[in-house]
Amino acid sequence: MMSVRNFHKRMILPSLFLAALIIIPFAAPLITADDPVKIAVRYRLAAPDLEHWLGRDEFGRDRLARVLYGGQVSLTVAFVATTIACIIGTFFGLVGAYFRGPSEFVTSRLSDIVLCFPPILLALLVVTLFGPGSVTLVAVLSVLYFPTFARITFSEALRVTSLDFVEASRALGTPSYRIVLGTVLPNIAGPLSVQYSLTAAAAITIESGLSFLGLGVVPPAPSWGQMIRGARQFMNQDPLGIMIPCAALVLTIFAINFFCDRLRDTLDPKGASGSSMDEVSKPKAQADAPTIKDPDVVAVINKLRLETAHFGTPAVIEDVSLILRANQCTALVGESGSGKSLSSLALMGLLPGAIRQVGGTLQLRRKSDEVVDLGFLDARTLEDIRGNDIAMIFQEPMTSLNPIHKISDQMIEAITAHRPMSRSDARAHAIALLKRVGMNDAERRIDSYPDQMSGGMRQRVMIGMALSCEPRLLIADEPTTALDVTIQAEIIELLQTLRQDQGNGLSLLFISHNLGVVADIADRVAVMYSGLIVEEGPAAQILRDPHHPYTRALIESMPSSHEELNSARGDRLPAISGTPPLPSARPSGCTFRDRCPIALPACADIRPALYPSADGERAVRCLRAPEAPAGVMNHQTEAA
Amino acid sequence: MTAAPLLDVRNLKKSYSIGRSGLFSKRSLKVLHDVSFSVAPGEVLGLVGESGSGKSTIGRAILRLIDSQSDVMRFDGQDLNSISPVRMRSLRKQMQIIFQDPYASLDPRKTIRAVLSEALDAHGLHKGAARVPRLIELVTLVGLDPSFLDRRPHEFSGGQRQRIGIARALAVEPSFIVCDEAVSALDVSIQAQVLNLLADLRAKTGVSLLFISHDLSVVRYISDRVMVLYLGRVMEVGPADQVHFSPKHPYTAALVSAEPSLHRENRRIRLTGEIPSPLALPSGCIFRSRCPYAQPACAETVPPLQTVGDQHQSACLRTDIL
Repeated sequence: MMSVRNFHKRMILPSLFLAALIIIPFAAPLITADDPVKIAVRYRLAAPDLEHWLGRDEFGRDRLARVLYGGQVSLTVAFVATTIACIIGTFFGLVGAYFRGPSEFVTSRLSDIVLCFPPILLALLVVTLFGPGSVTLVAVLSVLYFPTFARITFSEALRVTSLDFVEASRALGTPSYRIVLGTVLPNIAGPLSVQYSLTAAAAITIESGLSFLGLGVVPPAPSWGQMIRGARQFMNQDPLGIMIPCAALVLTIFAINFFCDRLRDTLDPKGASGSSMDEVSKPKAQADAPTIKDPDVVAVINKLRLETAHFGTPAVIEDVSLILRANQCTALVGESGSGKSLSSLALMGLLPGAIRQVGGTLQLRRKSDEVVDLGFLDARTLEDIRGNDIAMIFQEPMTSLNPIHKISDQMIEAITAHRPMSRSDARAHAIALLKRVGMNDAERRIDSYPDQMSGGMRQRVMIGMALSCEPRLLIADEPTTALDVTIQAEIIELLQTLRQDQGNGLSLLFISHNLGVVADIADRVAVMYSGLIVEEGPAAQILRDPHHPYTRALIESMPSSHEELNSARGDRLPAISGTPPLPSARPSGCTFRDRCPIALPACADIRPALYPSADGERAVRCLRAPEAPAGVMNHQTEAA
Repeated sequence: MTAAPLLDVRNLKKSYSIGRSGLFSKRSLKVLHDVSFSVAPGEVLGLVGESGSGKSTIGRAILRLIDSQSDVMRFDGQDLNSISPVRMRSLRKQMQIIFQDPYASLDPRKTIRAVLSEALDAHGLHKGAARVPRLIELVTLVGLDPSFLDRRPHEFSGGQRQRIGIARALAVEPSFIVCDEAVSALDVSIQAQVLNLLADLRAKTGVSLLFISHDLSVVRYISDRVMVLYLGRVMEVGPADQVHFSPKHPYTAALVSAEPSLHRENRRIRLTGEIPSPLALPSGCIFRSRCPYAQPACAETVPPLQTVGDQHQSACLRTDIL
């Protein structure tokens, strides 16, 4: 994350650049003593010399003076016009978007009328009517450009106005003008500044264009358009004459765009994202892990370690090991930021570009019984594995389904991607899948669009699509979190039946923060905290008798664990104090110790390993757990 | 309840017009059907229901953030249906809202100081030298460090943002707060902290809450009374523990039984079919299309809310089954 000072640093270069381009023309008298309109026909088209650095034009006027004084005119006309257009357009847009109703109608129709005219024609018309000159130009350009500002402001303001924080301001009783100016306007400043730069640049070119046509600035007053116009006739003998004003135009437009781009990034409070190119991360891991022997095991994550791509940053995932068996549901439980979703994305080979696998292995038994290490596969093979051997369903089925395509098309595409099949066969297969996931009337509903279905039905479609190639491993990332409880219960039940039905036994990796759901569906549970698995074992055992203080605290802090408590009687829930640490601020020793109610001084020195229980069924990463080897604490404390 | 209610709502209705079906008939989508309730001073009324039940609409209608129709809507003795915009703005000091999404509810461009100052400025509170102590008091009240005042929302975690949202609502010392899914987006451990915070505030300031949530256990824990909504109609209303542990309406019973739990053996009551479209609601009892106990009579009349216990009412004809 960048500090505020860095933002300002990023603005220095573009600001200097832009300031120079504005100041230099207006400092013309200091730079050259020549008069831009003084004619000296004797020296027409003279080459540059020490006194006239850029030479003289077709009337023998000093080009340096003309390009500088011309810049004054061109820049003033462009900026004044753009600023007026921006103010009027923004005002119209804000009023229309915030108050809606009649004001929306008036402001948007007014802009529409202007937008109906081809811009150059409108400009020509006005100039012909009112005669050329700078004032006319400013007026024409402002009228020409305010509708684009109005449009952009309107659509952006409409988006911002519907956000909760604007509603909060209204609920606070903040007067409308203050909401519009203090809350809505700053939040649309980014797109507006981009539009400003585009418009200013366009205004400069239109000004030049009109002057070139003889409709803008009146000769002999200098302007860049005038210069181009004059130099055009002598282009062949004297190319410099046309290059100078053109270079001035290009530099100015570049400076404005550069400045506005940086400004937009700076205005974004979260800072510029920098280069966010998604590159496929390549692991540096060695294949030293044992290969899967047990035919029942579908996938093994062994000592997975993920780091961000920046050098020297701590691991986002420190140590995750999991064995995923056929016909078994393993739940990965944890709070946001614990690393549960990243672990599953690693299995899919879909890690974000900024994260790389630096240790551990991810082994998968494919349907062909071949065992592969997912970290070492090329992109083509990974694509083949995704959807075919491993499938995934997400929290919000609406965002994972494409709203503009029918369900049938999306399912057929998913099926034919991995199976050579005719469209009609694929369609029949899709209908069979939908029936399997409990959709009544599948033949008809397959041709509906995602928004015509309820959330529960969409999630069924997603599950059906995920199962289309009979994967061995299904990863479900919070699949019921966005659903109502009654629908959630149905989806859980569906996943349970599917797991048992699937021919060769489906392994389900279920990621959730909801322990109640996990208790319903999971055979085994792995609890994650701050990039580590802290407790792992059979679901019933772990949830009934948690050995890690974090697992215990999680269960305890759920209101459903305390049916006797009620806040009306002044009862409080046993909450965990503090918040989970960021990867960069993990405490020494046990990562949970500063929130742990039973932490000992030794917990600060030792980062506990996952200690297995005597029967090997469960494991826990805590020095104070019954599984911790006797003496580990004494031993270490003595050593310390 | 003998004390005069702080908020009294009778027959609240809300519908959206959604274009035309024929040439002349305008179609409208009714999202609230004659919802009546009251909130006593210091009381927490829980509002539960699935998506589309209209629970968030009720919260926004009371705060006049959206238009609605009602026979009576009185807050603190004032008629909200006939109140002038100017009076309403000053009344907003007394009624506040906490939103679900801690990421969307704070302006990313404002510091915490600016967020809280906006609230105070809107009602001209704690001006000048009294401002800073008040701001510090507010952030401390919600368990944040005063050094956070000059930070912007993106520097905070979800739980911390939610606390800022609560501080903003509390800044104007309201007597009534709508908590619209205020803890739903939070992790379990943070959710417990925020619930405790709300419980403490309630004990300390006597604020009334309309606590809207789809999580029945959370609502049961925090509320005095609970109202269950289904497709814009009240199904059941009563004391929190009674509604949760001995529901009288089949819909409440199904909801409670569908809730995943670590501690109960699940005997889920299966609901058949899908939630009907609000455009084609069943006649009579709105729930009958999914009700396991429905009878022909349920299709004929809309069951009224009948008293089934102390302060406990249920809108079901079949009082014999639960």
